[in-house]
Amino acid sequence: MIDVKHVTKRFGEGQTAVTALGDISLAIPEGSFFTLLGPSGCGKTTLLRLIAGFELPTEGEIALDGDSIGHLAPNNRPVNTVFQSYALFPHMSVARNVGFGLEMLKRPKAEIEATIHEMLELVQLGEFASRRVDQLSGGQQQRVALARALAPRPKVLLLDEPLSALDLKLRKGMQSELKRLQNETGITFVFVTHDQGEALAMSDQIAVMSAGAVRQVGTPEEIYTAPQSRFVADFIGDTNIVNATLLGFDGDKAKIRFGEGTPLTVQTASTSLTPGAVHVALRPETIDVVDEGSDRALLRGAVVDSTYFGAGSQMLVRLDDGVDVHVQVATSRAIGARVGLECDTSMLHVLED
Amino acid sequence: MAKFMSLFRRSTGSRELRRQPLFTGMSWLVLVFLYAPIAVLVVFSFNDNRSVVRWTEFSLRWYAAALENDDIRRSAMISIQVAFTATVFSTVIATMAALATTRGGVYRGRAAAIALINQPLMIPEIVTAIATLAFFSILRQLTGVTGIGWLILAHTVFCVPFAYMPIRARLSDMSVTYEAAAADLYASPWQAFRHVTLPLLMPGVMAGAMLAFVVSLDDVIITLLVAGPGETTLPIYILGQIRRGVTPEVNAVSTILIGLTVAMVTLTFFLQRKQK
Repeated sequence: MIDVKHVTKRFGEGQTAVTALGDISLAIPEGSFFTLLGPSGCGKTTLLRLIAGFELPTEGEIALDGDSIGHLAPNNRPVNTVFQSYALFPHMSVARNVGFGLEMLKRPKAEIEATIHEMLELVQLGEFASRRVDQLSGGQQQRVALARALAPRPKVLLLDEPLSALDLKLRKGMQSELKRLQNETGITFVFVTHDQGEALAMSDQIAVMSAGAVRQVGTPEEIYTAPQSRFVADFIGDTNIVNATLLGFDGDKAKIRFGEGTPLTVQTASTSLTPGAVHVALRPETIDVVDEGSDRALLRGAVVDSTYFGAGSQMLVRLDDGVDVHVQVATSRAIGARVGLECDTSMLHVLED
Repeated sequence: MAKFMSLFRRSTGSRELRRQPLFTGMSWLVLVFLYAPIAVLVVFSFNDNRSVVRWTEFSLRWYAAALENDDIRRSAMISIQVAFTATVFSTVIATMAALATTRGGVYRGRAAAIALINQPLMIPEIVTAIATLAFFSILRQLTGVTGIGWLILAHTVFCVPFAYMPIRARLSDMSVTYEAAAADLYASPWQAFRHVTLPLLMPGVMAGAMLAFVVSLDDVIITLLVAGPGETTLPIYILGQIRRGVTPEVNAVSTILIGLTVAMVTLTFFLQRKQK
């Protein structure tokens, strides 16, 4: 279990100081596949480097299984990293790269040999032990980097956008491979990415970050279906964000209405919002297109675009207040047609800004 | 010095320049003036005649004479002894300086440190020579120590910036992620240097060492002023001989020196290319 407690990281001094992380607290459960997700510059890589020990926190503390590690040098932390650029040592064979960590720990030769063999088998590179690293493809180098970082059996494996240099097909394969490795080894994986698809597919838990702060922590399902803020809803993909009026609260539910429509009781990210204009998340797959005049219609607008994708069509409907909404339908309507949108109100979700 | 500096500049796109009128003509003219005298010297070292202007027949007699000359052999040994020792010391110092200026993080005075290390390249050698002579005279008197150590010390000092350039260039190009990876894999700072940084830096270190060796081997001015009796290096010996007129024997020794220098510079060039 990694405990990040009130960590702040500033680069530079005085006037020119840049705050990369502002008072972050995070608990990463032992043995989980934990993803730090966010756009570039959000501080996710800085947080990873703080856990690895390549940077020291300006304020705050990082603890691993209760022991404070925030001030230790990287070589004194039971934490290994898979670098974005892999950083395999070009002057060593694949086997020596994999054995490097154990060699530095002065483990017995026989143990090192056995572990190299085991690790290369684990990443399916058994026959490549004596190769030079520059004779390997990008995907193979990636797996050597994984084997090298796993060989010393760290408590935590840090992965810094390790799949970003691979092409799409290879990336899909590596996603399931990483998931398998995590299951087999039981080591805590902390994975940094800006790709929400990757995060949703692989993680046990996701921390969505922006501008040096953690915006939401949850399972992929929670993040996807119940985004707390407009930022998270926007970042996690194709969610529609529409305007509504907040009337008040009913227990832990919010009462809202669209335009002058009937009041609805829906889920909310927070019960401390001030009544008035709010944003509501609306997933494309929960929307049905009905006739404009239908009394089931909650929102009304005109079709401005339609894209056929085989299994159905994706329509873009411009609401009367000018907001665009994506809708997935079996049969599309003509462009310019007026339509009404009905949706499952239990899937509506009021967002914090 | 300029010829060494040019080794570290990457070739810039010169396709446009090549189309300029006079470019080819000028280039050849410059090359001829640079290398024709050397070519003449080399050719006449193989001349079976006392004259250094009139060709008669091919012969290796001046090489044989040079190799049998005890003064030449003695001064060659001193040159090699000084150059080798100065190379080892200056390369070690230059490597440490390069590490401090590329891997020590950003600190106040780093730019000044780099400038100070390179500055000797810009100071006229005669100034350095006179300063060294005066300074060493004081030290010799104070300590009472004499011997070839002073000459080696002087050579070590002026070789440092030459060794520093390629080592620093190599380190600047080298990603710090390798060292981060080593530290991440439980290497102590010393282990990371020993197993990762130094092996990757080796082409730069070799290039720096070879430049230092050549510069030391070639040096006249500082050596002339600092060297004590019995510390005559090969260039100083040649200079002494020249006063009595150029002899084919001197041509032969010079040709050997040129050959050695060319071999070193070529090797440096290929080492630098390999690391790219």
